[in-house]
Amino acid sequence: MNFALLVVPLVAGMFLGYFLREKRKVNLGKATFGIILVLIFSLGFGIGSNSELLNSLPDVGLSAVVIASLAIVFSVVLVKAVKRTAGLE
Amino acid sequence: MIKYILAALMLGGIAGYLDANWATVVNSVWVSGYLLNASLMLLLFVMGVAFAMDKNSISKIRRTGPRILIVPLAIALGTILSGLVSALILGINVVATTAVSAGYGWYTLTGPLVSQIFGAKWGALGFAANFLRELLTILTVSLMVKVDKYAPTASGGATAMDTTLPIIVRYCGSDTLITAFSSGFVLSIIAPFTIMAIASLGQVPNPLFL
Repeated sequence: MNFALLVVPLVAGMFLGYFLREKRKVNLGKATFGIILVLIFSLGFGIGSNSELLNSLPDVGLSAVVIASLAIVFSVVLVKAVKRTAGLE
Repeated sequence: MIKYILAALMLGGIAGYLDANWATVVNSVWVSGYLLNASLMLLLFVMGVAFAMDKNSISKIRRTGPRILIVPLAIALGTILSGLVSALILGINVVATTAVSAGYGWYTLTGPLVSQIFGAKWGALGFAANFLRELLTILTVSLMVKVDKYAPTASGGATAMDTTLPIIVRYCGSDTLITAFSSGFVLSIIAPFTIMAIASLGQVPNPLFL
């Protein structure tokens, strides 16, 4: 993953948004959702075309589900616990 | 909304499978590489615009300041703890399982890295477990946001800076952009280090698991 690939468009967008803020409000909702669907499609494509991953799933699938689910639950619980300390809400 | 996301994911999966195993229409890297990156960069740009136009979002970040880094550290700690618990539940190697967890959802890193340290089978588990973290984050975001506004950020782990970020912002609001992005960013940076640090704690005594 190339960090610059992510940071550059984000910061560029912020600059544009900062200068547009006094202008009228733009609703980007619908267009954004279309691009989100393209992103999700290409994500699915990468998984579907990855034979190595698909072949390993019967062997490691159950363990993977347990590890992923617990990672999510523990992360959510800890973030909830430190939310106030982090100054969020 | 989630049904469109699910449909796009499944169509993508089927298309990818057919392309790889039946009739190659496009080189898969065009879709899973270039198209993914292009749509992601475009979304980041648009999210940046929407964020900077929203005065509340900016004042919120000013108020929070560097304390926002507590979020990724809490996620890292929670994930590492979850690795220990997973290993105990599954009865598999604690060190290797915790190293697998410490990818925080970044499967393209964890798969190869864990594979190098613990062998191909753990690499496959590292890839699958972290991929599932991303997938479950996408699929459960509408439920998760009811638990907590920042739950999808926690769930997404390292992916909160890229693949799951558009969905997190969509469901949790523009003001979560910086929290989610910075959290994913920090987790992505520390992922290789935590994996290697955990791996250095022990060798696998029994390579047979499952």
